[in-house]
Amino acid sequence: MTSDAVPASDPRRLLADVRDLARRVRLAQRVTWLPLLVLALVIFGAIPVYRYGRVVSDCQAVGDGQVCEVWFQTVTFYWLAALVLAYVVIAGGYLRVARARGVDARVLPYAVTGVALVGLGFALAAVWVRLNPLAYPEEPSAIAQSLFRLLDPPGAIGLALLVLAWLERHVALLLFAIGYLTVVLVPINFGWGAHWGPHTWFVPQLVINGGVLLLGSAGFALAQRLRRPR
Amino acid sequence: MTGPADTPEPDESESPHPVTGLDDVVHQRVRLGILTIAHEARRVEFGYLRTQLELTAGNLSQHLGVLETAGLVEIEKGYAGRRGRTWITLTAAGNTALAEEIGRLRQLIARVDTTDTREDR
Repeated sequence: MTSDAVPASDPRRLLADVRDLARRVRLAQRVTWLPLLVLALVIFGAIPVYRYGRVVSDCQAVGDGQVCEVWFQTVTFYWLAALVLAYVVIAGGYLRVARARGVDARVLPYAVTGVALVGLGFALAAVWVRLNPLAYPEEPSAIAQSLFRLLDPPGAIGLALLVLAWLERHVALLLFAIGYLTVVLVPINFGWGAHWGPHTWFVPQLVINGGVLLLGSAGFALAQRLRRPR
Repeated sequence: MTGPADTPEPDESESPHPVTGLDDVVHQRVRLGILTIAHEARRVEFGYLRTQLELTAGNLSQHLGVLETAGLVEIEKGYAGRRGRTWITLTAAGNTALAEEIGRLRQLIARVDTTDTREDR
């Protein structure tokens, strides 16, 4: 940008400089490892809440076993509180790091989207339960299950990451978010937990979702460290 | 009656050349760099601009003065702890000026490309 050997009237060179400067600013604004780390911790933190925070009631004998109503109010409260707090921490951390580097961050739309998606997910789930109380114990259709998974907290985290990738024009984060959403939508548990009983069925999926985010956080932190000028 | 055959084809040479629309305040390389960074960063610190553009503090201040006088940036001085800090923000006029400059540069490149293609024939 500073070389005066290039004539100022060379429009191609000027536009190339503009693009390069914009790219450097975007790199300085990125703290991609932070949201992935914080959200991974939130997902891991949900494991004990699922284990101990549910209320079982109205059990009825069906065949050899029994079918019960299980209420997850504590889990719902955990996700709402933990995710709102997480997005506040992420927004604050992003602004702090970016400002220390001399630029401002474009993180607020991401944080707002994240909180809005969590709220929307719980609102839709509440409406579904109210409209379909008699559907129980039938399983919802495959489409409804996919929609639920997408708007469940782990899915909503992935959708919000797409927004962050767009805000930061970050192709690697976009690919990561798509991969993460695939894992959320197509549950993979390698058969873990198949015989663990009713108290731990949620563990494999939460471990995998949190693990993917944690690995992503480590990867982006490493990439950022390698890219930083020495 | 004027038929299509009578309508003269629009002559590119009659329309104003994109160069005539270039604003000297924005077209200068360093100032274009300042506007670009401020646009992308929303708010940028003086030190970041100085590092990225590899300028002395005095030189950068001069360019910022020109942009501030033209109403394209706002300069805000404050403190981060005990350290004085100067933040630069793009104004709405600065945003428009930057978009117009980039648009004209693109037009200019398209124009040059078209001319080159004609000369090659």
